Amino acid sequence: MTETELSIRDKLLKQDKWLFAALSCLIFTGIMTIFTAAAGFSGNGVAYSSRQLFVVTVSIAAFMAIIAIGHEKIFEYAYPIYFALLFVLLFTLLFAPKSMGSHRWFTIAGWGVQPSEFSKVAVCLGLSKYLSRNPPITLKSYLGALLLVFPIAFLVFIQPDLGSTMVFIAITLIALFVAGAHKRYLFTTMVLGVLFIPLGWNFLKEYQKNRLLVFLDPGIDPLGAGYSVMQSRIAIGSGGLWGKGYLEGMQSKLRFLPEAHTDFIFSVFSEEFGFVGSLIVLSLFCFLFIRILIAGMKSRDARSKILVSCISAWIWFQMFESIGMSMGLLPVTGLPLPLFSYGGSAMVSVLIALGFVSSIHISNIKLYKIEA
Amino acid sequence: MPDLKDVVDSRLKLWCFFMLCTVIVLVVGLYFFQVVNTDKYVSLATKNRLRLIRFPSARGEILDKNGAALALNETTYNIMGYPLDLMKGDILDKFAGILTRQGINVTSADLINNIKKQHMAPYRVVTVATNLAMTQMAEIISDPDFVPELFPIPVWRRIYPAGTLASLITGYVGEISENELKQYTDKGYIGGDIIGKNGVEKSYEDILRGEVGQEAIEVDARGRRVKSIETRKAIPGKNINLTLDLVAQKEAFRLFDEKDYRGAIVVMDVRDGAIIVMASSPAFDNNPLAWGISSQEWQALVTNPYKPMINRAISGTYPPASTFKALMALAALSEQKITPQTTFNCSGGFTIGGRTFRCWRRSGHGTMNVLSALQHSCDVYFYQVGLRLGIDNILKWTELLGLGRTSGLDMPGEVAGNTAGRDWKRSRLKQPWYPGDTVNYSIGQGYLTTTPLQIALLYATIANGGRLVTPYIVEGHSKPPVDLKLDKNNLALVQRGLSIVVRSGTGSRANIYGLEIAGKTGTAQNSHGADHALFVAYAPAKQPVYVVSIMIEEAGVGGGSAAAPIAGQLLAYLLNK
Repeated sequence: MTETELSIRDKLLKQDKWLFAALSCLIFTGIMTIFTAAAGFSGNGVAYSSRQLFVVTVSIAAFMAIIAIGHEKIFEYAYPIYFALLFVLLFTLLFAPKSMGSHRWFTIAGWGVQPSEFSKVAVCLGLSKYLSRNPPITLKSYLGALLLVFPIAFLVFIQPDLGSTMVFIAITLIALFVAGAHKRYLFTTMVLGVLFIPLGWNFLKEYQKNRLLVFLDPGIDPLGAGYSVMQSRIAIGSGGLWGKGYLEGMQSKLRFLPEAHTDFIFSVFSEEFGFVGSLIVLSLFCFLFIRILIAGMKSRDARSKILVSCISAWIWFQMFESIGMSMGLLPVTGLPLPLFSYGGSAMVSVLIALGFVSSIHISNIKLYKIEA
Repeated sequence: MPDLKDVVDSRLKLWCFFMLCTVIVLVVGLYFFQVVNTDKYVSLATKNRLRLIRFPSARGEILDKNGAALALNETTYNIMGYPLDLMKGDILDKFAGILTRQGINVTSADLINNIKKQHMAPYRVVTVATNLAMTQMAEIISDPDFVPELFPIPVWRRIYPAGTLASLITGYVGEISENELKQYTDKGYIGGDIIGKNGVEKSYEDILRGEVGQEAIEVDARGRRVKSIETRKAIPGKNINLTLDLVAQKEAFRLFDEKDYRGAIVVMDVRDGAIIVMASSPAFDNNPLAWGISSQEWQALVTNPYKPMINRAISGTYPPASTFKALMALAALSEQKITPQTTFNCSGGFTIGGRTFRCWRRSGHGTMNVLSALQHSCDVYFYQVGLRLGIDNILKWTELLGLGRTSGLDMPGEVAGNTAGRDWKRSRLKQPWYPGDTVNYSIGQGYLTTTPLQIALLYATIANGGRLVTPYIVEGHSKPPVDLKLDKNNLALVQRGLSIVVRSGTGSRANIYGLEIAGKTGTAQNSHGADHALFVAYAPAKQPVYVVSIMIEEAGVGGGSAAAPIAGQLLAYLLNK
């Protein structure tokens, strides 16, 4: 069996067109929603949506670049990438100016960069490489995987960014599960995790505790966190079956809805496009997940299989949390809705991850042809 | 045991199945809210009758050490409303009419502009009219045109009873600026909030501010309050007591105003760094600033050539001139470059590198030792001392004694002065350090600049036996002094020299019957105009309590004639009362 390297042009032509179609639809809907949300709170939808359009251009370029390079090549550098991001996170924590109560951002040429988003890519790569070499069927390699993720997850936790920390936990658990970890180990980990929740509670900032408490009873703090949840639920509920129509959402226009273009973007969309529109968006996400997992199942490479499980866990968790939170079904954590919310770092890193998926898809076709 | 690859594939499928199930959960949730309960939420949305009101907290008062008021609050009234309700119909036209009848000339267009500026969200209350006295407010709300969409709330306005006497200390408050909003994002300010802009109002903002109250209320279709949903009471800010003595401060201003002097006076407790007097003249009245002044009035304040808004005591830098000689003497004795017996002859001038440096006394002082050189402020003696010490030793001692850096005073705006050396000159002026530069430094001239507070600090260290204090102005915020472990004999010698200065030297005009004062004069050359006069003194000389640092801008005469008498009178006032 001889493998021939495909040219970059061939790679781009052979990429997963269904995947690309699904993510394009989601991104397009996202920009439209950012326009209406920003038109509400700043009176200037053009400024925000055009900025997002630029972000998308950069992200698509990154997506194509990953396909051109190929996931195999990048896997060789999985550990160096992991440690580089670990260093950048440490740097951010120590030197980034405190903004909005956390050390999450630093600014490059007027654009805020959020290293915790990129570290999600690094964790996916590092973890899948590690688990493919050390299947978590022994306790040693199982604990090794936990130890690998811990430093990054911890640095993100103390930024503090509770939402992203939970993304890391989801990625790790799903990767371990898919990589074939003993159910015993997984079960023990989860039980220990639940037992440690009271301990972790003390590490949370006051506003984080409030958000979690408010989730249990939105009535307790209508002035603060509960207010957002109540207004978001009103936005979604009043959307009804068909929605109020594009640019007609009163909840966001009258600024009842906070963080309309980021955390609560789904509420803005759902108010204007109703249950039907929301179903379409959820279907697009489902289709995206299926495309991601198909790429993994067809692959003959263990690394790729685990990688798609990591990436799908990441996007799934953020989608589930973001939409669940906007209905008040889950606590408010401030995670962006992937491919949808306004924000550069999140968009670029998700598209980098999807670039890996497409690259895995291409390598599957390549092998298939040679065998035939 | 099954092949690992099969396990992985089957688990991938399981994971995929799980994800799709969770999406179904979301769909069920959406169905519940958007299809089953849609009527409930549509009516909640159309009513959206939740309104938020912020109640400003009463700001903490600022008092002097004896409890005299420096900053107080006065109740006035604001007329508030919600943008959502106000933009309907002719409410604002009517209200502009009411105000005009009250003699307040505004049009509804002005009101709309003002509301737009504050607009954050339609349910967030905005201020429509401010600063109304109780009687005005009563007349406005009893006007038949007054609508229930508008309502009055009491607010606090800052007043400064001491006015110019303490304006540079207390600072003033004002509406928060865009920049400040960005800077303090996590402190919960919003546009329109009042914040300390300068002085103690700024440095103790967090204590003075208190916590704003908030109320969520439900209103009816006309914006009238139906019921309160939640209230969070405003917590008033804490009062603070300054170490400042307002009566002494007034005396300091009187002594300056009598002679029409410009400059600064600092009085500090040498034992712990408490600031007793900090006067900077000319000063400004901070009352109008707290109420809001026009841009012309503001321009007039900031472009005033005498800079009344600069606190010269901590932000003004001047050459320390001969007051620096005490540091030179202490440094040279400690570095063993001179002994009490070392003498130099002063012939009225001194030549080095082709330049002649004159003594202030052209005819010369004759043979001088360290005591007589301090007593008569002989320049030539200290030129020699400076050359023996060398610039690096001089800078080592300025650093040790707290010059060239801010002191840590709990007020904003303090500057470091300049104690630059070789590196600074090489990078700034592209020139090497010449012995002539060292000679200039030896008498506190050249590139050397200090603030009046730093001079007070230097002499406090000499007076209190070598402990460097951190100046403070708010009671209870003192920091423990740092013992510099200076040689007691050297200190005693310099202290003796400073006593002789007042008893029978250049500072004799500070001499007050019954009081033992030690100090040092200074006359700073000023390239922009007449010489500045300096005098720094502490008393009682045997057991020092207060240090006074005086700086008179462009006095035109020496520190001995202009500044010394003021220091004497002020110390007498403080110690005899």
